[in-house]
Amino acid sequence: MFKKKNLLLLVSFILIAAIAGLAAGCGGGGDTAEQGEGGGAADADVVKIGFLGDLTGDTAVYGQNTLTGMKMAAEELNAAGGILGKQVQIVEADHRYDKAEAANIVQKYITQDKVSAIVGDPTTGITKATAPISNGAKVVQISAGATGLEVVEIGPYVFRNTLLDTVGGPATIDYMINELGFKKVALITAVNSDFSVGLSKIFKEAILEKGGEIVVEESLQEGDTDFSGQISNIKSKNPEVIVYSGYYTEGGLLMKEARKQGMADIIMIGGDGLQAPTFWELGGDAVEGSVSYCGFSPEQPTAETAKFIEDLKAKYNMEAELFSAQGYDAVKILAAAMEKAGSTDPKEFVDELAQTKDFPGVSGVTTFRENREPIKSPVYLLQVKDQKWTLLKKVPVEM
Amino acid sequence: MLSNLIVQFINGIALGSTYALIALGYTMVYGIILLINFAHGDIFMAGAFVGLLLVTVFHVHIIIAFLGAMLFCMIMGIIIEKIAYKPLRRSTRLAALISAIGVSIFLSNLANLLFGAKPTSFPPTEQILFKIQTYELVAGAQITNLQILTIVTSALLMIGLQYFIKKSRTGKAMRATSQDYDTAALMGINVNRIISYTFAIGSSLAAAGGVLVGIYFGVVKYNMGFMVGLKAFTAAVLGGIGSIPGAMFGGLALGIGEMLAVAVGLSSYRDAIAFGILILVLLFKPTGLFGTQIQKKV
Repeated sequence: MFKKKNLLLLVSFILIAAIAGLAAGCGGGGDTAEQGEGGGAADADVVKIGFLGDLTGDTAVYGQNTLTGMKMAAEELNAAGGILGKQVQIVEADHRYDKAEAANIVQKYITQDKVSAIVGDPTTGITKATAPISNGAKVVQISAGATGLEVVEIGPYVFRNTLLDTVGGPATIDYMINELGFKKVALITAVNSDFSVGLSKIFKEAILEKGGEIVVEESLQEGDTDFSGQISNIKSKNPEVIVYSGYYTEGGLLMKEARKQGMADIIMIGGDGLQAPTFWELGGDAVEGSVSYCGFSPEQPTAETAKFIEDLKAKYNMEAELFSAQGYDAVKILAAAMEKAGSTDPKEFVDELAQTKDFPGVSGVTTFRENREPIKSPVYLLQVKDQKWTLLKKVPVEM
Repeated sequence: MLSNLIVQFINGIALGSTYALIALGYTMVYGIILLINFAHGDIFMAGAFVGLLLVTVFHVHIIIAFLGAMLFCMIMGIIIEKIAYKPLRRSTRLAALISAIGVSIFLSNLANLLFGAKPTSFPPTEQILFKIQTYELVAGAQITNLQILTIVTSALLMIGLQYFIKKSRTGKAMRATSQDYDTAALMGINVNRIISYTFAIGSSLAAAGGVLVGIYFGVVKYNMGFMVGLKAFTAAVLGGIGSIPGAMFGGLALGIGEMLAVAVGLSSYRDAIAFGILILVLLFKPTGLFGTQIQKKV
């Protein structure tokens, strides 16, 4: 009798604690969030911009760099008096490359922090998962990294300032076939990545259109580390080049495996998913010579870009690259739209945002088309030389 | 075509031998205390990280790092048993299982905290071991010296284990304890010590697997224990949980099966196929292929 009563008390206590914990947790959402003052209506003298990205997971490099670019832009704006007299505040959280966590964070930004806009996600997959939420709540979401298909179609509040795969992909394949002379292609896709699946379609079309031949197609799952089977298959079909449409972790490991199995000279051609130092940290010498397209290069800079590169080095001791540049531009583009519309309420500045034309960003001149897709010029083709992405060619784009 | 099949077969044996090393730990522990040690996959992960640390931070030779990782995980396995499983030996099996899951979550999050979530690279094989050489086999197929090393090392460890179990006194005691726990205790066997030995051996084999995988695939990550642990568990069940030759066979069979799936173009489904095998085995032959007797009745 005595024991049963104790047990009942204990169970009730645990249940209550669990429910309380759940309630707090659901309201909480993201991890390291910088809260502003209170959760009431948007503060009169602060404009909040939410950062959506991965700071510690498989795409951590993108998130960290985007955040740094955003912070620098915010600092510059604040030093010049802020946007419409209000100080810019960047709200941070880390989704660790988990879609569910990302959705939580966006919900929190909208309902608790009352952000005016969200910059993120650097990846196509997570942008597509979270944009419906922001769009539904009429909060602007602009991705400084998503390059895949079917992103801005999600709704009128969804934007991006990236170099699209539909532009970069064909330009790269064109270079590969016509200037590198590689026609027999092994195409690898990461089937659980929206970015990779979309880009593979684009690559495939471009390859076939320009006279190339896909001798073997392989697939893998992001998160896998064993690619010995896929590479063995590929080796047996004797391709001239490996085209991979996924991210840098698997890209580096694929090349490492290729060298291990005796494919000594083959290089990898990929999208801007390969743009991170982890590509050569994991791949070592195996990734030398690999080529990818990118919306930014610190080489041959314009005046604005040169200043950005200098400031980034001086303030954050960081080498300028794609994501910091685009994150910076995203915040500046938002600021410009807010100033023009005279309001930090997304419902009021979204139209001005959609009209952005010839914005002189540090990552290139940006214009939003009728359908809100960005056109950026030029396309930068980069190659890994001595463990660094160096500029191979600048391909101009018709605006 | 044939040469590709042979190559994939060899890939499968290399991968499968690492599964087998880990599966042995699962099977031995289950045989003795009827516990599925879900933390075992994370001991594999710990072995890989310890090996990496020894090579990169302390600059020891890879063989010493290999042995060092085995020793570290041996001790870790014993400590985990004493803290998380021994107190629950008289409780329900469910309690011990939940404890094992808890240890698993603790270990992988500890690794996440210490090493971050980004995958960490093992130094290139040339630097720490030897330059990769390929050797010609029949029908144009090739095998690399790294694959030979992985397969031979695993084989030597497994043969060593078999010898130990069959010929040594402690091995005999382990077999006795797994046959009938209480009777072995009545016969004067120190079952507590035997259980510690079991965890020690199982964990050191997992660590060996971890270092081999680190060298072979070149990358370690805080959550690598999860998937590999599940697959090794599948291998143990496939071969018959509780049976040591079963675990070895199961590991190899699973590795080869996965690679053949990739060979015929089903690479996206390799995990599904691995776990599909688990489901089929549990449905049609729950005691596994080499599975021994009937379940103990109350």
